[in-house]
Amino acid sequence: MATLHSLPVFDEKGKTNQRPLSVLWRSLEERIRGGADRQAVAAEFALGAAELPEANNGTSRRSFVQLMGASAALAGLAACVRKPREQILGYTRQPEGVVPGKALHYSTASFLGGRATGLIATSYEGRPTKLDGNPAHPASLGGTGALDQGSLLQLYDPQRASVVKSRGQERAYHTFLVEQLARANQHAQNGGETLRFLMEPSSSPLLASLRERLRAQFPKAKFVSYTSLANEGWQEASEAAFGAQAETRLDLRDADVIASLDFDFLAGLPGTLAHQRAYADRRDPKAGEMNRLYVIEPGMSPTGGMADHRLAARPSEMIAIAQGLLGRVARITKSNDLARFANLNPALSAQQSRFLDALATDLVRSAGKSIVAVGERQPASVHLAAIAINSALGNSGKTVRYARSLLHDPEDGPKALAALAAEIKAGKVDTLFVTAHNPVYGAPADLEFGKLLKSVPNSVYLGYYEDETAAQTNWFVPLAHDLESWGDGLAPDGTVTFQQPLIAPLFNGVTAAELLASLLGEADKGSYGLLRAAWDARNKALGQGDLVSSANWEKWIADGFAANTAHADDVVPNWATLEKGIPSGAPAAVSGIEGYFATDYKVWDGRFGNNVWLQELPDPITKLTWENAALLSPATAKRLNVAQNDVVEIKAGTRSVRGTVFIQPGQSPETVQLALGYGRASAGEQIASGKGFNAGELRTTSTFWSAGSVEVSRVAGESNTLAQTQEHHNMDEGIHRAIALQATKEEVESNKLEEVQDNRGPQTSMYEPVKYEGFKWAMSIDLSRCTGCSACMTACQAENNIPVVGKEQVIKSREMHWLRLDRYYMGSEDAPEMITQPVMCQQCENAPCEYVCPVNATVHTDEGLNDMVYNRCVGTRYCSNNCPYKVRRFNFFSYTSDYSDVEKMVMNPDVTVRARGVMEKCTYCVQRIERVRIETRVAGTEIKDGDIHTACQDACPSQAIVFGSLHDPESAVSKLTRNTRRYDLLHDIGTRPRTVYLARVKNPNKELA
Amino acid sequence: MNALFKPWSNTLARLSLAAAAMVPVCAIGGMLLYVRSPLFTQQGDPIEQPVQFDHRHHVAEVGIDCRYCHTQVEKAASAGFPPTSLCLNCHAQVWNKSPKLAPVREAFFSNTPIQWEKVYKLPNYVYFNHSIHVAKGVGCATCHGRVDKMAAIEKYSSLTMGWCLDCHRNPENYLRPKDEVTNLKWEAPTSKESVVKELLLHGIAKDPADAEQKLALNSDPKTAFGLALKDVNGVHTRQSCSTCHR
Repeated sequence: MATLHSLPVFDEKGKTNQRPLSVLWRSLEERIRGGADRQAVAAEFALGAAELPEANNGTSRRSFVQLMGASAALAGLAACVRKPREQILGYTRQPEGVVPGKALHYSTASFLGGRATGLIATSYEGRPTKLDGNPAHPASLGGTGALDQGSLLQLYDPQRASVVKSRGQERAYHTFLVEQLARANQHAQNGGETLRFLMEPSSSPLLASLRERLRAQFPKAKFVSYTSLANEGWQEASEAAFGAQAETRLDLRDADVIASLDFDFLAGLPGTLAHQRAYADRRDPKAGEMNRLYVIEPGMSPTGGMADHRLAARPSEMIAIAQGLLGRVARITKSNDLARFANLNPALSAQQSRFLDALATDLVRSAGKSIVAVGERQPASVHLAAIAINSALGNSGKTVRYARSLLHDPEDGPKALAALAAEIKAGKVDTLFVTAHNPVYGAPADLEFGKLLKSVPNSVYLGYYEDETAAQTNWFVPLAHDLESWGDGLAPDGTVTFQQPLIAPLFNGVTAAELLASLLGEADKGSYGLLRAAWDARNKALGQGDLVSSANWEKWIADGFAANTAHADDVVPNWATLEKGIPSGAPAAVSGIEGYFATDYKVWDGRFGNNVWLQELPDPITKLTWENAALLSPATAKRLNVAQNDVVEIKAGTRSVRGTVFIQPGQSPETVQLALGYGRASAGEQIASGKGFNAGELRTTSTFWSAGSVEVSRVAGESNTLAQTQEHHNMDEGIHRAIALQATKEEVESNKLEEVQDNRGPQTSMYEPVKYEGFKWAMSIDLSRCTGCSACMTACQAENNIPVVGKEQVIKSREMHWLRLDRYYMGSEDAPEMITQPVMCQQCENAPCEYVCPVNATVHTDEGLNDMVYNRCVGTRYCSNNCPYKVRRFNFFSYTSDYSDVEKMVMNPDVTVRARGVMEKCTYCVQRIERVRIETRVAGTEIKDGDIHTACQDACPSQAIVFGSLHDPESAVSKLTRNTRRYDLLHDIGTRPRTVYLARVKNPNKELA
Repeated sequence: MNALFKPWSNTLARLSLAAAAMVPVCAIGGMLLYVRSPLFTQQGDPIEQPVQFDHRHHVAEVGIDCRYCHTQVEKAASAGFPPTSLCLNCHAQVWNKSPKLAPVREAFFSNTPIQWEKVYKLPNYVYFNHSIHVAKGVGCATCHGRVDKMAAIEKYSSLTMGWCLDCHRNPENYLRPKDEVTNLKWEAPTSKESVVKELLLHGIAKDPADAEQKLALNSDPKTAFGLALKDVNGVHTRQSCSTCHR
């Protein structure tokens, strides 16, 4: 006989509100509405979500019913028609190794900012469908950022440029080559005096060898690199401190105390993946000594959100803050090197002084194991102060390394571009080859680079799209995608990394190396031939003989990098010149509102603007999609009497732009943050064009990162509804629930985790517990590791064929992301704490969605997965209504039916492409589970822990997500479910979710308590 | 005056009402039957191919194993469609001037695929995997029929979900020894003696005593044989939706 269970009896108070919970808020509106009024936002869908799914054609209810009746009748008839015949087109000669239907994996690399990130590409029948980090590569360690994940989609962008053009006329590439070779011969006469190259920053050994050979042929030609995100202040500081162009390399593994002065090193951007991993590894007090992170920054960033202590400071205050920190460290350490700075004591606010006192003490306490890191927005003196502190405390060489830059042209900022502009103006440039990404858009506005470029007699642009720059050059040549090119580059630690193509150029693109080689008469060699030749020569020069017989080549290409090639040419500071770079007096205060620029997490310098995955990805902080905004602090917005969605004019001197106001908690007072990369006016990029506003119009060579004092004034009567997802899919239903939890290090160590403990443990149930056979899939998400970088969201989108819906639909809460990243604030509006939480289907054991489906389209499997059967779903949306986690997404439209053949190539063949009217949600990547299950069963082996990875888990640079079976008590996920920090989301409603969360741990400094 | 309606009119009216009520039932039932009938599923229709490939000749007469052409049946979801070059493995030597093979040679030398007519087509939301079925002892002929007897290839099974589940619920009725998977002529033993013989022949039973024990698994010798195979082949059929729908 079955065991009898007693019914649970709740006490009158109810369990949820016994203890004051850490009160979280998602947006200012929600915070202001507060407690009871939160019912208003607790509705299942946002306004409009329940409307008829028409777009703009004004279909009435009557005509809708007519159409529906007709389509029902036709659907019935369609069933009576015999299935159409289909053809099979087999291979003529099957390529070796290709098994149709089975993925192949190749190592390759992407290059952003001149540094390589090692990747592994998944390819089906020669069609790359997914990118992941190369676990063996030092710069990715298996993780990826959202940009790398998204770059895949760009390969299949039908708007890519495909034809060589001369002044708008389509030409053959051959014609271009003939003309340029004739020109090159003329240039060779005078040593290339009027020949210039404007290059994308690069560390590629192949490009280096080509440049060397070009220099030999054209000794007077010049190479200039430019990126609109140049770390200009650092370049100046580096020259002053080291007398050379160096770079900073952080090693966070041994860092106990980290101070970030406006350095967003946990954002999943290129070069930060290894930082994220090393940082996360030090965030569990039970797994080792925790690090402590201090962040001082003008705007909110993922790094600021992870900080144990964060201070919002205006950009103009950063110099004084750096001086203050340097002075304090000098006085505490009494180091001889720092003695000269002991008198630095600029005027600071009481709060800033207190913060810096504690920080300086902590840094010195952990001398040799601390880091002061500075971001690209900061001027030279802040970088110099950091160099001084790191050098004097003995951090350099351990946690921080200063080494000679790996880039060909380390100075890739506005100064280099201005010098080139001056030469063009003086008529000294006859031929200009541009391989830098879209300099007409990215150049400081005062250079008027577009006009200058037009005046160059022979200009050539190698571009991915026919963008702003293409419109100003004589010749346009389409650029090959990273996945279409052979190439090489250096990882941030110097590791030589190889890029191999996954597909032949879809749109006739060529690489920068091929373009340069064409001037040497080697246009026919192809990117592989060039790479091989360069490495052959290099191998011989190193005395290692022939490339193939030395057996390195095949291994390098297969691995994606050459092992043990990390190198650093260390530099030491010259204290005398360094001292000169740090002003002793306080810098002039900036009056009024201070404008500054920010690197965007999604479009970067604008190059991902045409990428719909990234455009629709909510920004990690603002949760904005499809555009940028002018970020103001709540107090500043109030003073200016502007509200969210108001359009404002931002004036810096004579330049002005119009942008939409976004009120950002944690923004420094009297500042406006302007993200770069939007407001494009590119003829070739219909998606990027017209989204947001171009903050770059306020940029000049002297105000590259900070616009100084700006005027912000409301444009009367104009507003623009921003599409932000932060209030969508609300889980708390009008009561404060324990959702994203955090605790301090002391609380974890002494096990005082009442809030966490309240939210876990067995639930009383009337029913017999279900016995799961085989496996019991589960997932754990460690909030202590998650920085909110959003790589998982894009990875999920790529893996599961998730469509994008567009701005209007996002406003209606209809975005399709199966995995969302909730971002909550805690505390005051001016200095809130921030916590991010990935939420996807929790795979409840008692799933509320399953009971309400009238057609059994969502059912439980024998292993506890909550299956979604698309072919059964009739679209009642009851399941979504009943889902407490709000993780179900409905196809209001047929988002994929109008895909072109090229766009379809990105689809993962292992996942059904959903039709209109079908509900969908996270499946724990069931296609991956089934694939591994079949492979192991065919081989006659067992699935081991770690054999199955979900797409989000693979992407996560900080390894916050772990997947496995609970039946194996020793599996990684089982161990994590027994962790003291484990809790279940919305535990009180008894859904028994299979996904568990680990509360975030903070390591605050008692001196700042 | 005669009555307008005769007494039998009542019967007629009742019958008509009953018949009217049967109309929707028949219509719906008819459609349901139709989609399951070979008329709709296209079972048994010989399909004309661009090249008159005769499985009878290649399989029955020449004795080529299925896996010679369908190379990946043991390692991938798809059984593998032979590339044109594979035809020429033999036909570069034999019948290399046959006009019937002209389309093959043309396709090979112009590097354009031959457009074969598809025979077995699953909806896009169904994920079937050959490798696991073959590994667990589901024979080619179980689903594809005696292709060695088909002049032109034809669809043998209905591919309805009920047909799939039939086997996933009772796999013992459809299994065969792993070494007989590609043997189209193999037939399951039905008598006690033949079951014991097969069990010993394929090494499923160690000795006659073991074979007798396995025979006792079910009163029907054929089912007992299936159950023994299910055990030795490690068959764990799954019926969760995500087994096939992802």
